[in-house]
Amino acid sequence: MSSKNVGKKLVGVWNTKTIVAVAIGAALFGVLMNYGGIPVFTNTSLTTAMVVPVVVGAMYGALPAAVAAGVGNVIADLIGGWGLWFDWSIGNFCAALFVGFGAYVLMSKFSTKNVILYVVLCVLGNGLAFGVVTPILTAIFYGSELNVTFLQAIYGSLSNILVEVVVGLPVLYLLSKRTAAHSNLEEE
Amino acid sequence: MNNKFVINYIPGPTMLHKLTGFTKVFLFAVMSVAIISTFDIRLLVPLLIINVIEIISMKPDYKPIVIMFTITFFTVTLLGNIMLFFVSPGVGLTNVGAEHVIWRLNDKLYLSKEFLWYIFVFFIKRTASFASVIAFALATTPSEFASGLNKCGLNYKVCTIVSLAYRTIPDIANDFVNIRNSMMMRGVELSKKASIGKRLKNTVLILVPLIFTAFGKVGSIANAMDLRGYGKHSKRTWYAEHEKTKWDPVIRALTILLLALTLYYIIRYRIIDPYPVDYWCPWVPREEIQQTNAIDTLFILKWIRKLKGE
Amino acid sequence: MKEPIISFRNFGFRYKEQKNPTLHDIDLDIYPGEKILILGASGSGKSTLCNCINGLIPFSYEGEITGTCTVNGTDTSTASIFKLSDSVGTVLQDTDAQFVGLSVGEDIAFSMENDMIPRAEMLPVIEKNASMVGMQNFIDHVPFNLSGGQKQKVAIAGVFGNDVEILIFDEPLASLDPQMGMTAVELIDDISKETGKTIIIIEHRLEDVLHRPVDRIILMADGRIAADMSPDDLLRSSLLSEYGIREPLYLTAMKYAGCSLEDSRNLSDLTALELTPENEEKLKAFFTEERESVRENTNEPVVTFRDVSYSYNSGRKVLRDINFEIRRGERIAIIGRNGAGKSTAAKLLCGIIRPDTGTITLEGTDTSTLSVKEIGEKVGYVMQDPNTMIVKDLIKDEVGMALGFRDIPQEEAERRVNTALETCGLYRMRNWPVDAVSYGQKKRVTVASMMALEPDVFVLDEPTAGQDYRSYTEIMKFVNTLNREYGKTILFITHDMHLAIENTDRAIVFSDGELIASDKVFAVLADADVIERASLKQTSLYTLAVKLGLEPESTIRHFIEYEREMKADE
Ligand SMILES: Nc1ncnc2c1ncn2[C@@H]1O[C@H](COP(=O)(O)OP(=O)(O)OP(=O)(O)O)[C@@H](O)[C@H]1O
Ligand SMILES: Nc1ncnc2c1ncn2[C@@H]1O[C@H](COP(=O)(O)OP(=O)(O)OP(=O)(O)O)[C@@H](O)[C@H]1O
Ligand SMILES: [Mg+2]
Ligand SMILES: [Mg+2]
Repeated sequence: MSSKNVGKKLVGVWNTKTIVAVAIGAALFGVLMNYGGIPVFTNTSLTTAMVVPVVVGAMYGALPAAVAAGVGNVIADLIGGWGLWFDWSIGNFCAALFVGFGAYVLMSKFSTKNVILYVVLCVLGNGLAFGVVTPILTAIFYGSELNVTFLQAIYGSLSNILVEVVVGLPVLYLLSKRTAAHSNLEEE
Repeated sequence: MNNKFVINYIPGPTMLHKLTGFTKVFLFAVMSVAIISTFDIRLLVPLLIINVIEIISMKPDYKPIVIMFTITFFTVTLLGNIMLFFVSPGVGLTNVGAEHVIWRLNDKLYLSKEFLWYIFVFFIKRTASFASVIAFALATTPSEFASGLNKCGLNYKVCTIVSLAYRTIPDIANDFVNIRNSMMMRGVELSKKASIGKRLKNTVLILVPLIFTAFGKVGSIANAMDLRGYGKHSKRTWYAEHEKTKWDPVIRALTILLLALTLYYIIRYRIIDPYPVDYWCPWVPREEIQQTNAIDTLFILKWIRKLKGE
Repeated sequence: MKEPIISFRNFGFRYKEQKNPTLHDIDLDIYPGEKILILGASGSGKSTLCNCINGLIPFSYEGEITGTCTVNGTDTSTASIFKLSDSVGTVLQDTDAQFVGLSVGEDIAFSMENDMIPRAEMLPVIEKNASMVGMQNFIDHVPFNLSGGQKQKVAIAGVFGNDVEILIFDEPLASLDPQMGMTAVELIDDISKETGKTIIIIEHRLEDVLHRPVDRIILMADGRIAADMSPDDLLRSSLLSEYGIREPLYLTAMKYAGCSLEDSRNLSDLTALELTPENEEKLKAFFTEERESVRENTNEPVVTFRDVSYSYNSGRKVLRDINFEIRRGERIAIIGRNGAGKSTAAKLLCGIIRPDTGTITLEGTDTSTLSVKEIGEKVGYVMQDPNTMIVKDLIKDEVGMALGFRDIPQEEAERRVNTALETCGLYRMRNWPVDAVSYGQKKRVTVASMMALEPDVFVLDEPTAGQDYRSYTEIMKFVNTLNREYGKTILFITHDMHLAIENTDRAIVFSDGELIASDKVFAVLADADVIERASLKQTSLYTLAVKLGLEPESTIRHFIEYEREMKADE
């Protein structure tokens, strides 16, 4: 794919629809962060919020996905009263950039190759975001203890990847089916 | 569901409520920087107190705040600290710069005065940050938030993202409830008793329509905005950004003062002449502080060393 | 001769997603200051036509345009939507989505904000527009606790933000209670009188719109203009019944009575209607001749409410000590003003929400002992807002979904799904994605998905909102068969008095959380006090009765009984 093409996929198209979609995405992210946990065992839960960047990315490109996740996380902190954790917001922004890109590519053609690419990007994005970016920021901003931070980060990335793959892929598949079914409508 | 959130859609009566969006956003931003910039209890406590006073001055409904506080701190902080105690009890040494052991099981597991001091200060810092967020959330309506951000020079499209997001949160909450109901009415079992696998499946079963319903509105909302000329010009005015009250200049001045102090503190005490460790501690005089490199404490590195060493 | 402000020249449009065009060779001129009503079956392309005028097509909907559409002299296919938004204001079908502000004031201000008008200049305009629609006391209210009707008013005030010449109202009356609907119609009429703006109204509720005069009616069918004539001519012609549009009740009555419409003037305005002597005689005769009256239903009760009270977390009691009883095989109309608590009562019955005090019994068992799922096997509830019910993305999957969870043999399920789709006129679209159909069609999808379950008690919340007469009659036929053949109990929650009159035995009337009447429909509709308190409106039959100097209650009763007989003969 040409570099221009890649650029478009990254930045996405920014019109009123995109703005609204990102806003709704952020809202969903905020709500799901606080209430969308799938309780696995006490006190740990997979947050379904991670599907949001997948969907936004699939429909509008990587940057919209990232903004939705970033703003969404800030909103989640504000409405949930967690106190601002810029470190995680920025982390989510970075992760979503990768995931969104993967989703966008996958939407253009739902092939095994792209599925693999998507999964790889999920792992890469989360690893980079929560394995490197967030811990460093946490250390700087909040001076948390590094070991704990890393443990949290690792758990966070793993659960996110899990959600993005186990939940994200089916959703993406539905989406692609939808858009496919969306052409040449004719009464039978 | 949405009543559990601290969102304030209707402008309140008190002085802080009446301030313009810009003033509040500015204050909040500076406050966050100040809280983030320091680990010194002598600064954190005053910052905490300021925010608590702000909250009290707004005479809020304390119930949701208290609930949040308990949840956040007795899950996140408490668990975090217990974990911390087992993973690296030596955190006191690395951050406070000394170690007076109170109780010791073996060299892997012990409790020191500095460890307790560390988690205490850390708790104060978190609480201050929590308080500042609550204060802001209570004082500011989403529209003021958006207009304030725009006044701070942020592109207005980004600002609309914020206000629109807040606009849709209660709708999403309602959709969620309705979808769950219509699923249950049509015979889907959504009880808590189900197994993890089933729970995952059911959550997805709700999540998918929730997502599609939410994003299904994009078209008509965007149309409504386009039809009323959204994005016509490179700027826009804000109904929510009302004229200044007599308090705005005062608060803005104080905020600038706080900003100046913070910058001075950062430059003077964190860059020019940094305190040897992050955490000041009353019973650890500066000259007795022993410096350790936090990176060395990383268990991953320790492992690697082990592998290399033996 | 004035220049037309809007003119279509053999115009056509095809949505990118569609194989065939939705609009075909439209030729239409609309002149400044005209007040136009657009009628047409659901899915006939009314909204699409209007979206061509306000520029959403092609700005927001991709597709293929043929021919030209000029508004204010500019060709819409090339003009920017911003330019058009200065001359065209649109109140969309979905008023909830179009409330973008976080308060009434902010939403009214929205277009001014985008025009960079300083706040100081906004305030008086907002004040003025808000009071024009009677919302001046709600300026800093949030959208979430406004009733559907109030949102509608704000939306109307919103389009005045920038002073436009053309106003488009897409189904402004859907889900407004009769009183509120009447107010809206009057409001729109006052606007057109005072400001001389060009006004285009899309609406299924012809009788309600004709409460105030319109200049022309444009009848659409399958994306074509089927008729373009004055209200009187249209009513006199047979076009309405041909194209499945519901005619005003008083006309139906006149036809039943065998009156000739040719020589009666002002057909479109009942108060000014001049009845010829022989017509008057025929009507009098029709309304007085004796018929065997509707027999009492004496079956055992299926649903009972005992002193039921409920309040949402807001604290205010939405329902207060509700008591009523519904017998097996009854057809009930639950009516009352917007926000009276009708949907809440339905939710309570389904166990989605549970009463604060009091008990609800279903077929003799206290529902507090049953789970929503268990209740769901007996009660089928079609919610008011179709979007919150639709789960699957293909129409036929959606309709079949619930059957999948019950152990019903494959072919049986198949059969039920297909009959449901047939009756709701969706069979030919069964493989479409749900979000490619119009609002009315979506609503029918949800009705179909409940029909397929064939529940004992069938609760339909606003089943006819945004429906055209044909699909309306189809749905009603099916529901009535369920009722007659299988003795199912039917509850309609509705603002549509036609529906109540023609398809129900008894009306339960709510007003501000209290049950103020439970009686035969004709009795309720003839009771001025109830009508006032429930913000209903006198049906044209009532007015006709008064006009003829007859006693309203018996008049309406006669009408109903006559219709019953006809239906029985069918
Ligand atoms: N966004 C869209 N994409 C594809 N097809 C569409 C879209 N909107 C409408 N259609 C098709 O165009 C036809 C007309 O839709 P339209 O909304 O104009 O009908 P309508 O007359 O307004 O119906 P209603 O009275 O139910 O609102 C429908 O059959 C629908 O299939
Ligand atoms: N989820 C909710 N939370 C809080 N209040 C609600 C909720 N749903 C409805 N209400 C309030 O309860 C009252 C009754 O609402 P309900 O939907 O039952 O009215 P309704 O009779 O169905 O009106 P309509 O004819 O417009 O549908 C209204 O004042 C409404 O504002
Ligand atoms: Mg329409
Ligand atoms: Mg209702």
